[in-house]
Amino acid sequence: MALSRRGGRSRLTLVFLILTSITVITLDFRGEGAGLISSLRDGAADTLAPVRSAAASVLDPVGDALAGVTGYGDLEEENAALRARVAELEGSGLRGEAAQEELAEARRLLELDVAGDTPRVNARVVSTPVSNFEQTVELDQGGDDGVAVGMPVVSGAGLVGRVVGVSGSRSTVRLVTDPASAVGVRLTRSSEVAVASGEGPGVALSLDFVDAEADVDILELVVTDGLDGSAFPPDIPVGRVTMAEAAPGELQRRVEVLPVADLAQLRLVSVLLTPTR
Amino acid sequence: MTTATRLPPVLLGAVVLHTAVFPQLRIFGVAADVLLLLAIAAGLTSGADRGAALGFGAGLLADSFLQTPFGLSALAYSLVAYAVGAFGSTILHTGRWIPMLTAFVASAGGVVLFAVLGLVLGQEHLVSLRLAAVAAMVGVLNALLSPLALRITRWALVTHPVSGPVLR
Repeated sequence: MALSRRGGRSRLTLVFLILTSITVITLDFRGEGAGLISSLRDGAADTLAPVRSAAASVLDPVGDALAGVTGYGDLEEENAALRARVAELEGSGLRGEAAQEELAEARRLLELDVAGDTPRVNARVVSTPVSNFEQTVELDQGGDDGVAVGMPVVSGAGLVGRVVGVSGSRSTVRLVTDPASAVGVRLTRSSEVAVASGEGPGVALSLDFVDAEADVDILELVVTDGLDGSAFPPDIPVGRVTMAEAAPGELQRRVEVLPVADLAQLRLVSVLLTPTR
Repeated sequence: MTTATRLPPVLLGAVVLHTAVFPQLRIFGVAADVLLLLAIAAGLTSGADRGAALGFGAGLLADSFLQTPFGLSALAYSLVAYAVGAFGSTILHTGRWIPMLTAFVASAGGVVLFAVLGLVLGQEHLVSLRLAAVAAMVGVLNALLSPLALRITRWALVTHPVSGPVLR
């Protein structure tokens, strides 16, 4: 009898918690609790910011070592692919010349001022994502420094992502590799316009809406399109095409793009202070 | 000392581990989910009722650091903790492997539940081919941490280990 009463109370507690959760989620969706919820998120981010920064700097070498050990297979594959590429280039004078050009272009890209004279705030990446699903990083600059949600973030090489959360002293950036990220882009040689979608950590971006008949080159540079309504200014380098296939009968070409920014080793970035919607 | 004085520092410690320490120590790109583990441990040590309540609180704390809808983790964690608490009252608490196995299954299930609930709420990106690997890895990491989590939760919630079979 007593156990049955306890079971009934447990179920009542669960129903109450489910209803409360659904209410909170609904308030968040409708934006009605936005003030309270963003205050909670901002407070949590600002309060734990020093602890997270300290932990990141102390544990960074350990994390790198773990990533090296658990990513050994990937490194071996990458090493093998690079060796094959070197052998291929060494085998032909013309190809060697192409590699030199490629290298020079890569150097130019690294020195390129990716966003002209757009006002910007330089920031340091202070911590990695909390979640196993989100590809986000936290910056040591926030709303007090002029950063707002929606602003693009770039490194010296190209596009990194977009600000999705801001507190007084911190901001959260969703990387272009996040599965929730979508960037309007243009292929520089073929002028095809497409959408680059994130596919997860360490995975190339996929381009949607590329015509099956489009002439897409491997290593072709992909930049932001800057079309009306786009969150990003035009001509920021996003990545280079690593794969372009068209299956028979398909209307779209399957295109993969490797980001030019080294998203696994981000240290310093710039937030472009563009008007946000 | 009572639960009211012991629980806050435990929650604070769990938040620090969850947001600052374990995200830096990823195995195959996956970090342990300490707040989910805390909810599961509460369900195992204190039953469905208190487990669900602590799971709800731990989930709200987790939501404070995520871009997913606020309350999504709270919903997932409280459901998992309730299920673990209900299941825990039907098993013998002998041997170390049963709580560890429970932590593995519940953690992996919690990750999948979070993703599926997110999908229902329009967060399509949460469900991908990577989900199974993330769920399995979180399960393994949380299972390894579970003996310590159970001891801490038992201390924080001022409970005593059940020494024999519990009646349904």
